[in-house]
Amino acid sequence: MSPTLEASGIHKYFGGVKAVQGVSLTLGGGRIVGLIGPNGSGKSTLLNVLAGVEKPTKGTVTVDGRRVDRWPAHRMVGLGIAKTHQIPKPFLAMTGRENVAVAMMYGRRREAEPAAALEESLRILALVGLEGRADTPASNLSVQQRKRLEFARALATGASLLLLDEIFAGLSPEELRDAISLFTRVQKELGFGALVVEHVMQAVMTLSDHVVVIEEGRKIAEGSPKEVVENPAVIEAYLGTEATDAAP
Amino acid sequence: MKLPKLPVYGPSLWGLGGSLLLLGGVAPWIPVFPLIILVNLLIFAALAYSLNLITGLTGYVNFGHVVFMAVGAYSLGYSVETLRWHPLGGVALGALTALVVSLGIGAVTLRFRGVYFAIASLVTPLAGLNIVLVLPALDDGQGIVLNPAFEPLSWFYTIWIIIAAEVGLTYWITHGRLGYGIRAIKSDEDAAKSLGVNAPHLKLFLFALSGLFAGAAGGVYAWTTSGVFPYAAFDLTFSLLMLAMIVIGGMGTLLGPMIGAVIVNLLSRFFLAIFIGTQFIIIGLVVIVIALFIPEGIVGTLRKYVPELRRILE
Amino acid sequence: MPEPTLLVTDLAFGLLLGCVFAVIAHGLNLIWGVAKVVNVAHGEFIMLGAYGAYFLNLWFGFNPLLSAPVDAAIGLGVGVLFYFGFLHRELRGKESIGLQSEMVTLVSTFGLALLIGNLALLLFSPNFVGIPWSPGFVRVGFLQLPLGALYVGVASVAIIALSHVFLSRTYLGNAIRAYSQDIPATQLMGINPTSVAAIGTALGFSITMAGGALLSVWLPTGIHPTMAALYAPISFVIVVLGGPGKMWGSLVGGISLAVIIDVGQAFVGLSLATAIAFLTLIPILLFRPEGILR
Repeated sequence: MSPTLEASGIHKYFGGVKAVQGVSLTLGGGRIVGLIGPNGSGKSTLLNVLAGVEKPTKGTVTVDGRRVDRWPAHRMVGLGIAKTHQIPKPFLAMTGRENVAVAMMYGRRREAEPAAALEESLRILALVGLEGRADTPASNLSVQQRKRLEFARALATGASLLLLDEIFAGLSPEELRDAISLFTRVQKELGFGALVVEHVMQAVMTLSDHVVVIEEGRKIAEGSPKEVVENPAVIEAYLGTEATDAAP
Repeated sequence: MKLPKLPVYGPSLWGLGGSLLLLGGVAPWIPVFPLIILVNLLIFAALAYSLNLITGLTGYVNFGHVVFMAVGAYSLGYSVETLRWHPLGGVALGALTALVVSLGIGAVTLRFRGVYFAIASLVTPLAGLNIVLVLPALDDGQGIVLNPAFEPLSWFYTIWIIIAAEVGLTYWITHGRLGYGIRAIKSDEDAAKSLGVNAPHLKLFLFALSGLFAGAAGGVYAWTTSGVFPYAAFDLTFSLLMLAMIVIGGMGTLLGPMIGAVIVNLLSRFFLAIFIGTQFIIIGLVVIVIALFIPEGIVGTLRKYVPELRRILE
Repeated sequence: MPEPTLLVTDLAFGLLLGCVFAVIAHGLNLIWGVAKVVNVAHGEFIMLGAYGAYFLNLWFGFNPLLSAPVDAAIGLGVGVLFYFGFLHRELRGKESIGLQSEMVTLVSTFGLALLIGNLALLLFSPNFVGIPWSPGFVRVGFLQLPLGALYVGVASVAIIALSHVFLSRTYLGNAIRAYSQDIPATQLMGINPTSVAAIGTALGFSITMAGGALLSVWLPTGIHPTMAALYAPISFVIVVLGGPGKMWGSLVGGISLAVIIDVGQAFVGLSLATAIAFLTLIPILLFRPEGILR
């Protein structure tokens, strides 16, 4: 089932730059947690620490009680925690199917037979609406399709906790609506939990059960979407307009 | 009851495997002189296959591959001359020591990005050479002279086994789960890691295998040349030739190293006969042209532009 | 424990040699910084520079100091040729160099190394040659320093200082630096990236060959096509030590390396000192890949 990830007192410094300063949060149990904040607030860095891409300078990350802050990304996948990239990184020379198959063979499931993995990939691609592009090289996919492929790959690792880095960014209003409904549908079907790092307020407010707001590396608010949106500190951080407009 | 699925082996493997089997069968009847030439060719093919396992499959250009060959050569020299072992034991020791050395080197250098790995690999033969020159156990760089019996048939079968193992292993790796992981790493190492691919492990695994086989081939080489001398053993020209073979043949392919070895060997002999030294000039030129215009090598480029051949040629 | 006077002599020689090492590495540093490519054939061009000095001495009686500018001029032309032959196709229109391009450049330049090295073996005498130029010695305290080494040491520092001035004070120099940091921005400034990359590369080769000429002073019997196999790794290690793209890094790296070898060999012999010097690459890459300089 969905693991519980607890991050406690996370600090991440890059030389003199203090990207994250003392942030704690809890993820798990099929909950969708939104992580928002102004540009440069440290959201992506925090996500990378949770995913194992970066090691925290200070603080601990535990999964179901086990300390994993020093674990590399590929080991985190074994625990059912997978991330997507802000700018999709598909394996360009491989087809959509093969991309997903890699996730099946190396993710939690560790599918040993490439043939079986390639078969199963079609199912996951169908979930995100890419089955028609299954045998196209990833280099021929549009940005929106690449984002879906990125999502499909993360799903295919068998993850029950997804760390999604701005998966809704750069979409037209129509594409955004489709993406949100796709996400809701898939989440209902598979039941995973997620940390959704986002700029696009509409997506975060619609999808999140709980929202965390960070600014300049520090947590400044958390609560339900409605609570957060009405929080004066949050409004001030964003200068108001976006947050109040996007209230559900 | 479900019958176990019979694995379907590609035509390339059948072709290569079949040819090897045939060669193995008729070897006792091959006259001495062509046999020696064949042995030499197979040694270089074995070296090419070993480099293919790391550079061909992952794209990490290892200029220092000669180090493993030298370690294998020295192991054979030492075991035959000082320990009085049979050369076969020496070859096995060569493989083993080279494996250990490769694990040591790889654990450190594989952490570096492509370019820095290449540079570090350029430096290792020089460091290795200088270390060997001062080792008392190896006569402080005097070199080792062997007086083994002249047994081309034994040489043949030893290198034959080594190549057969390499070809089989290359096929198995590229066709299974590992093949996908390797392609993923080559394509985008970070993305691969985010999907659960243990990139450091996989790279080290391939690097160690490449070292193992290069060490074995190096041992056989020392056996056939009955001597090991430091400047010759660590000569970067070997690395360059091995790289040329896989570049020309096609990096990461099954047939590439063999094709590359044949071409390089032919070019070497042909131009050597015309004038010593010209063979490397020609090989260098060929490598430049191929790297700039058809970087996938012969096999890779054929597969790219002639779809019908994709099923047959790999 | 070797005598202190011996150590100081070694140190002094190391410093002087290091300056020349710095120049041959500086060319590589420039090309690496600008075009972000590693030229595996770098050693061969150093060797060509040394041979250039040799032939200029043989035919016209030029001493290495005089040959250096001539070599530099030749290097400019060679650099432009190299750029259009090897780099233009890969770099043209790209914002950064990709993995495939990196590999292609590594492999194609190694082919070039094979080609040039063996062509040299064929065309030049297979004997070791040298330039008979010994302007005498100068006494500094108890030290007996060869003037030749002193002159080229000074010349080396001058070359590096000049290149620094060029890169930071001239329009073209700044354009080159801009290009090495941010190609799209360079284009936005109205600078033609191809010209800049080509000139940067040309400059790198010109310094390299001049360096080869200066190096010849330290090789009274050591000029030979195979010297490339030694000076290429030396250059690479120096660039990594000093930090790729950092202009004074070449000097710091070059002197460090030379001193490690020269002083080290008094303690553990030349072979081991050389091995250690090369192996310093590893900890630097592991712990401080930007180089020693901050």
